[in-house]
Amino acid sequence: MMIPSDHFVRFYNEVFKFLEAKSEKDLRDYWLEISRHQEGHCLELFKTKGLKGMYEYWEHIRIEENCDMTLTLNDDYLKLEMHKCPSLSKVLDNDATPSMRYCDHCEGWISPLLAKAGYYCVYDQIAPDIPRCEMYVYKDKDLAEKKRKEIADRS
Amino acid sequence: MRYKDTGELHMDFHGATNTTIDYIANKYGKEALVEIFHKVGKDVYKSIHEGLKNDDPSELIEHLNYYLTREKADYTLTENEDGFVLDVKQCPAVAHIKSLGLEVSPYFNLQYIEISNALCDSTPWQCTTEIIGEGEYRQTFSRRK
Repeated sequence: MMIPSDHFVRFYNEVFKFLEAKSEKDLRDYWLEISRHQEGHCLELFKTKGLKGMYEYWEHIRIEENCDMTLTLNDDYLKLEMHKCPSLSKVLDNDATPSMRYCDHCEGWISPLLAKAGYYCVYDQIAPDIPRCEMYVYKDKDLAEKKRKEIADRS
Repeated sequence: MRYKDTGELHMDFHGATNTTIDYIANKYGKEALVEIFHKVGKDVYKSIHEGLKNDDPSELIEHLNYYLTREKADYTLTENEDGFVLDVKQCPAVAHIKSLGLEVSPYFNLQYIEISNALCDSTPWQCTTEIIGEGEYRQTFSRRK
């Protein structure tokens, strides 16, 4: 039986659980592998067009994957508000147990890629079983650290 | 049927499945992939597995017809007195992976075989899979004698 494209994320969820059972390093190595694959799609765009290029990339994803998401491009940062993540929603609507590390894969591949482009990612996961999150991308390291502290203090 | 997706298809996820299969097989071996596919068969598709345990293949047949039709597969599913035969002439996942310019993982076929084996495990049903070519396969689901 073929895994339908609609069910990829449930397969992904099983892969994450398998890797998590091995070790934290196994899980993180896999996210880095995803990051390397994604470089071909967006690293050049991020390097050349910066925050505007990131806006273009995630706007394309928003439309193509029908995400309930708001993107706001500001002078010094990009804000992504995911109101209902389609990926985690499917993982939660699942007869198999959801991985509580599922959400971490987003930051796990995005942060290293943004770092290669010279940007800093700040991720507010909210909760691993709620399909909402916020992501901020900064060029300025101090602004990123300030946002990271603000989120940490709040939670 | 437990899952019945509608709306736009995201066929590029087949490419992600392909690279994930390659990664797991190359780093952890074929047995790791088999272990994951068995979890998919028994846990993700728990209701199909439970149906087969109760000698009821109706959800499996509905699932196969629904998703292969949704992905515009070239296939036939023929019921007979022993069970049913699924003939896939062109797997839509393989066709899409090739259209992306990716090489199909040598382990890609394992999903057809091992998810089906897991679904049938500890049930009155069995499955034999014949790989005919790249993206072409026949699966015979029948009641155990």
